[in-house]
Amino acid sequence: MKRATLTLSCSREMDCPKEVVMWNYYDHEHLVGTHSKYYNHARILAERDDWALVWRNKKMPFLPLYTSGIGLQFMDSNVMRTFHKDSIGFLLEQETQFEDLPNDRCRVTVTYTIITHPIFKLFEPIFHRLFRSWFEEVWAEDAPMRLRRWKVYQLGFKDFSGIDYINRKLPKPAHLAVPKYEFKPPIKSLAKIKSAAGETRLASKGAELGYHDVG
Amino acid sequence: MPGITQNTIIVAEGGTNSTYHFLATTAELAEASQLTRWIEDHDILLYTHEGEVKALSNICRHFGGPVGYHKAKGGVFTCLWHNWQYASKDGACLTAPGLSLRQYALKIVGDNIYVNLLG
Repeated sequence: MKRATLTLSCSREMDCPKEVVMWNYYDHEHLVGTHSKYYNHARILAERDDWALVWRNKKMPFLPLYTSGIGLQFMDSNVMRTFHKDSIGFLLEQETQFEDLPNDRCRVTVTYTIITHPIFKLFEPIFHRLFRSWFEEVWAEDAPMRLRRWKVYQLGFKDFSGIDYINRKLPKPAHLAVPKYEFKPPIKSLAKIKSAAGETRLASKGAELGYHDVG
Repeated sequence: MPGITQNTIIVAEGGTNSTYHFLATTAELAEASQLTRWIEDHDILLYTHEGEVKALSNICRHFGGPVGYHKAKGGVFTCLWHNWQYASKDGACLTAPGLSLRQYALKIVGDNIYVNLLG
């Protein structure tokens, strides 16, 4: 049978190295934190090196319904390939391309594709609207996370430790050696998200005071 | 001089002079009951706990997230990024005990709150 292809590409630039953005995509625990407006549950079913199989329960933008499904992601050079299958029934293929830009900046291009029955070609404008909205809204939540991650890294932050001279109430070292940011999947996580219980959002509602990362 | 905020004050304590940096006014804190500010390389979470003005590092020990993004609830801060939790009483980490948030020494002079980055 003839199949129809629905596709959309979205591209944005970030003021941080591409490896920070890759870290963000492989940090599955942040789904129920940073993106708690959409995700209420996540579980890593399996992960090895640069591939991960993750179960998520999420609400789609401007649709009053939650869907659950699994996604497989892996790296193919500078491209992350992801296959999502959720309870609606579509197989969503996502290609995320990472490019270096000068001055520790990067460009991220995400292409969403669904290959489906030809009748769904009629709904392509809705597909475009839905996935553009998804890209923009998730990007808006991830952008300050990536920028702050890059900022604290440059101050000497180390995972599960912090910034040593700040924790020890010492002056900033005159020469702070900060190595190039490296992306080394899988991202270290607590055991809970890998357990049958998974990780559940804690703060979907409540007062948000926001980021104050300027300065 | 009334109406003028000094960026730093020097306080003699423990036989040495300590530098305190202006952080916020008491009115700003009263309005929000909790706020965060970067002073040099320090991201500081300023808040009131049981009537006492306190300051903690706003940098989560996990991955560096903003601990004070959400308003504290029931004496607990929940980091935006991965839900790590800390006690507002003393910054003790409830998610990974032992990874507490560093506390800062404060001075309140008139309407201004100052923080010691090394204290």
